[in-house]
Amino acid sequence: MSRPGNRIEPEASEAQEEAQRWERETRAPFVASHPERREAFVTQALKWPIQPLYTPADLDASGFDYARDLGYPGEYPYTRGTQPNGHRSSLWTMSQVTGFGKGEDWARRARYMLEQGLQGLILEHDLPTTNGYDSDNPLVEGEVGRAGLAVDSLEDLERAFDLPFERLKYLMSVCNAPQPVNLAMIIAALEKKGVDPRRFVVHIVNGILIEYTCVGRYIFPPVHGLRIATDCIEYIIRNHPNWAPISIISAQLQPAKANPVQELAFSMAIAMAYIDATLARGLPIDTIAPYFHFVVNVDMDFFEGICKLRAYRKVWARLMQERYGAKLPAALKIRMMTSPTTIALTLQQPLNNIGRLAIMATACALGGAGEAMTTPLHDEAHSLPAEEAIRVGAALQHIVAHETGVADTIDPLAGSYYVESLTKQIETAAMAEIDKIQAMGGALKAIETGYFQRALGREQYERNRDIEEGRRKWVGVNHLVVPGEKRQIEIFRADGRVEEEQVARLRELRARRDPEAVAQALEAVREAARTGANLVSPCLAAVKVYATHGELCDAMREVFGVHTPDSQLTGV
Amino acid sequence: MTDLAAEVLAGRPAAGARLIRWLEDGDARGRALLPRIHAAAGRAHVVGVTGPPGAGKSTLVDLLVAEERSRGRRVGVLAVDPTSPFTGGAILGDRLRMSRHALDAGVFIRSMGSRGAHGGLSRSTYDACLVLDAMGHEVIFVETVGVGQEEMDVVGLAHTTVILAVPGLGDEVQALKAGLLEAGEVIVINKADRDGFEQTRRHLELLLHLREGARPEGHWRTPLLVATASRGEGAAAIVDALDAHRAHLEAGGGFAAAATRRDERQFLSLARAALTDALLRGRGGALLAQVRDRSLDPYTAATRLAALLGGADPGVT
Amino acid sequence: MAAQRPLRVLLAKLGMDTHTVGITVVAHALREAGMEVIFTGLKQTPEAVASAAIQEDVDVVGISTLSAGHTRSLPRLARLLREQGAQDKLLVAGGVIPEEDVPLLEEAGYARIFTMGTDTREIVAYLVQWHRSQRDREPAA
Repeated sequence: MSRPGNRIEPEASEAQEEAQRWERETRAPFVASHPERREAFVTQALKWPIQPLYTPADLDASGFDYARDLGYPGEYPYTRGTQPNGHRSSLWTMSQVTGFGKGEDWARRARYMLEQGLQGLILEHDLPTTNGYDSDNPLVEGEVGRAGLAVDSLEDLERAFDLPFERLKYLMSVCNAPQPVNLAMIIAALEKKGVDPRRFVVHIVNGILIEYTCVGRYIFPPVHGLRIATDCIEYIIRNHPNWAPISIISAQLQPAKANPVQELAFSMAIAMAYIDATLARGLPIDTIAPYFHFVVNVDMDFFEGICKLRAYRKVWARLMQERYGAKLPAALKIRMMTSPTTIALTLQQPLNNIGRLAIMATACALGGAGEAMTTPLHDEAHSLPAEEAIRVGAALQHIVAHETGVADTIDPLAGSYYVESLTKQIETAAMAEIDKIQAMGGALKAIETGYFQRALGREQYERNRDIEEGRRKWVGVNHLVVPGEKRQIEIFRADGRVEEEQVARLRELRARRDPEAVAQALEAVREAARTGANLVSPCLAAVKVYATHGELCDAMREVFGVHTPDSQLTGV
Repeated sequence: MTDLAAEVLAGRPAAGARLIRWLEDGDARGRALLPRIHAAAGRAHVVGVTGPPGAGKSTLVDLLVAEERSRGRRVGVLAVDPTSPFTGGAILGDRLRMSRHALDAGVFIRSMGSRGAHGGLSRSTYDACLVLDAMGHEVIFVETVGVGQEEMDVVGLAHTTVILAVPGLGDEVQALKAGLLEAGEVIVINKADRDGFEQTRRHLELLLHLREGARPEGHWRTPLLVATASRGEGAAAIVDALDAHRAHLEAGGGFAAAATRRDERQFLSLARAALTDALLRGRGGALLAQVRDRSLDPYTAATRLAALLGGADPGVT
Repeated sequence: MAAQRPLRVLLAKLGMDTHTVGITVVAHALREAGMEVIFTGLKQTPEAVASAAIQEDVDVVGISTLSAGHTRSLPRLARLLREQGAQDKLLVAGGVIPEEDVPLLEEAGYARIFTMGTDTREIVAYLVQWHRSQRDREPAA
C-alpha cells in the first residue's frame, strides 16, 4: 500500500527537479525575508503537514495512476462519483432534520418543511423513546417529547403520520437501540394510513454500533445490539426490498472528534461487521451491499472534507471488490448523504454560522454530495429550529446548487495536485487502520475492548486543548471575540402539558387494550429473543395489539440484559 | 460537635464517608477516632478482587454485591483506581458499573485513588476497611488497581482473595503461573463466552492441580470457577465459595488470625513511620541534613539514627 | 498533609441525554489539575447521584446536562443533598443551560453554572480557588 514510485526511482524525475529548483531559486529567498505566518501548516483534524506547493512531482511520488486511482464517473473505483453524469441530470435530494413534541406537533412541522421544498423527512424520537422507555417511566421525567417525538404506542405514530404522503419521497428514522420495535411501529402505522410500501421509502438508520462507539444511546450488550440490527436488515431486504435498512452515520463520529481517517476506517469496519452478520443469514454480498448507506459530515477544512468524500467512494468499492468479491456495480457504488457538521458552528455570533454552512455545503458538493445532502441550522447550537432558520438552511443548498456552478461539471477538483495527493493519503491511512481493526477481530471486538472509544477520547481532549490554547483559531471563540457577548441559549421547553397528556394517553391506552393479547405478544418477543428467531415479526404482531414501546424493550432487556461499558467517558 | 465515631458505629453513611475522607487525607481528627473504630471492627469478611486490567473486576464485584444482597447481607465496596504519578489526579470510574446498587441502603461503595502507593491499594485502604467493618458491613469487597503480579497488597488485607482471569490474554496466564495463583483462594475465569476459554481453563486446571498436589491434607482447596459477569452468570457459585472459605478459616482459627496479621502489619508500618518521624524531628534531624549535604552516607546515617533510640549521641560513631 | 489533599469531584449526568464529549473533556482537565474525579455514569437519577456524593464524600458535585429537564432535576438533587446533611458540598452545573434558568439554579443552591463553550481552564481555576478558600476556613488539623 506504500508508494511504489517513491523509492524505486534512482534519480529525481524532471518534475521533481523543477520543483526543487523553484524552491531553491524563488521561494526560499522570498521566505527568508518574508517569514511564514505560522510555524507549521497542517490539516485541521489530521494535523498532516501541508506543503507550500503541490506539483506533478507529488502525484508521481504517491504512485498516482489516473486509471487505477480515479477512473471515470459511474465506473470503478468511483472516486469521481457513482453517478455517470454527476449532478447534471438531477441534483441531490435536499433534506433537513425535524423532531419535537407530540405526534400532531411533529406532523405540523413536517408539513411546513415539505412546503419549503424538502422531499425527505427525518423522524427523530425523544430520548425516552430512543433509550427504550415509555413516557410514564419515572426515569424520564421532564424529557418526554423534548428532543423529538414521543412514541409509546402505535397510536402516537398514527397521529404523527398525518402527512401528505403523495409529496413525501422518504422518511428516515433514527431510533437505534430499540430498532425492531421502531421498525414494527413504522410498518404498522403506514399500513394503517394505507401507504403503499412499494412507492415509499422507509429508511432506518439502525446504527447501534456507532451508539456503542460514541453516541451512547444503547440498551443491550453489543453482541445483542448487532443481532437485532441484523434482524432488521434481513427483514427489510426480504420483505421491503425498496427500503433502506442501514445507515452508517459516520457523521456521528465527528462530534466525538474522529479525524477523517478514523471516521472513514471506523465506519467501514462497522459496515463490515453488519455485512458479515447479514451474510451469515444466507444473503449474498451482491444483494446486501447495495443496501448500505453512509452519512458523512464535512468539517471546515475544505480539502480534508472534499478528499475524504472522494476516498469514501474508493475505499468502499475496493473493500467490496477485494474483500467480499462483490461483482454488481450496485454493490461497489457507495450510497452517501453528506452534510456540513454542527461541530464547526459556534454559539458566539451565530450569524457567522451561515457563512460556515455555505462553505461546508460547497465542500460537500465539490466532493460529490452523494444522493442527498442535509444541512444543520445556523442557530442549532443554542436554539430551537425557528422557521426562519429552517428556510435559510433549505435556501443554502439551493444557492450552492444553482448559483455557484459547482454542480455543473463532474468532480471538478480532480487532477488538482493537492486534492489527489490528500485523497490518496487518506485512502492509504484508512486502509491500514481497517486492517488493524480487522486483525483485532473486527468492529464488534473493537467496541467490546474499548478501542474505538479510547481513540476518540484522545482526539477530543487534544482538539479542545488546541482551541483553548489558541493553536487553532476559531472565530468568535478565540479569535475576533466580541467582548461581553451575551450567549443566548434557547431550548425546547418541555411544555409540562405535553408530558402530562402523553402519560395520560398511555395510561388510558393500557386500560383499554386487550391485556391477554398483549401478554401473549410480549411472550412471543421474549421467545424470539431467546431462540434467535428474527424479532421484527413478533414485534410487529405486538405493536398491532398495542403493546407499548417500553414493554417491548423490557421484554428484550429480560433476555439480553443491559450494557454497561467499561467506561462511559470516551477515552478514559 | 456530634460524635462522629458513634454515628459510624450506628452505620450512618455520611459519617463513615467523612471518616474515610479524614483517614485518606491524613487528617488528625480521623486518627483520633480509630481506636474506637478498631475495637468495633473484626466481624466483616474482607474479600479482595484482583486481576489484570480488562478482566471485568468491577462488573464481577457488581454481580457479587447483588448476590450477597440476595442473601441478606450488608455489603461494602472499596474500589481502588490508579492515581496519575504526574499530576496526582485520578479518574475513578469503577462505581458506574455498580450503579444499580446506588439506592440500596445496604450497599456502601467508595472509590479511592491509589495516591502514590504501588501495591494495588492505597495507603488508607486498610483503615477504610475498618470503617466499613465498624459500620456493620458483613462483607467488604476490595477491588484493586488491576496491574500485575507485583500489586498484591490485597492478599495481606483480605481474608479471601479472588483472582480473576480472562481468556485470550496469553501473558496473563504467565503472570498467574508466576505468582498470582499462589495468592488466590478462589480463581474465577470471567468472560467465559470469549474465544480461548477452554484453553485458559485447561491451563489453569493443570496449574491448580500441580499446586494442590503439593499441599497437605486439610489445606483449603482452591476452586476454579467460571463467570460471564456481563450476562450476570456465575455469582452464586462464587459467593458459595467465599462462604466456604470463610467457614474453613473460622474452623481453623484463621479468620481471627487474619485480622491479627493485619494489625501486626499495620502496627509495624505505623510504628516505623512514627518512630522515624519522631527521631528526625528531634536529634536525628542533623543526620538528615548531613545526608543532604553529602557529608554522610545514608547507611551510616541510618545506623546512627537507630542508635539514637539507645540514647547514643548522633554525632558519635 | 491535609493541605495537599486532592479535591474530590463527582461528575454525573442526569436524565436521558448521553452526550459525553463535554464531560469527558472536563474529567480529563480536572485529573490533569490533580483532582480525583468520580464518574457515576449516564442516565442517573438525582437520588442516585445524591447517594453517591455522600458515600464518596466529595467536595464538589458537578452535573452535566444537555437535554434534561434540568429545571426540575437539578433543584431536586440540591434538595436531596441538603435533606441528607450534605449541604457543605459545592454544587456546579454545566452544559446547555439558557441564561434565564441561571437564577433559578443559583437559588436552588448551585454556586456556578458553566454554560456551553466554557474554557476548561476557567472551571479548573474556579474549583482551585474555591478549594483554597475552604482550606482557609477549615480548622487546622
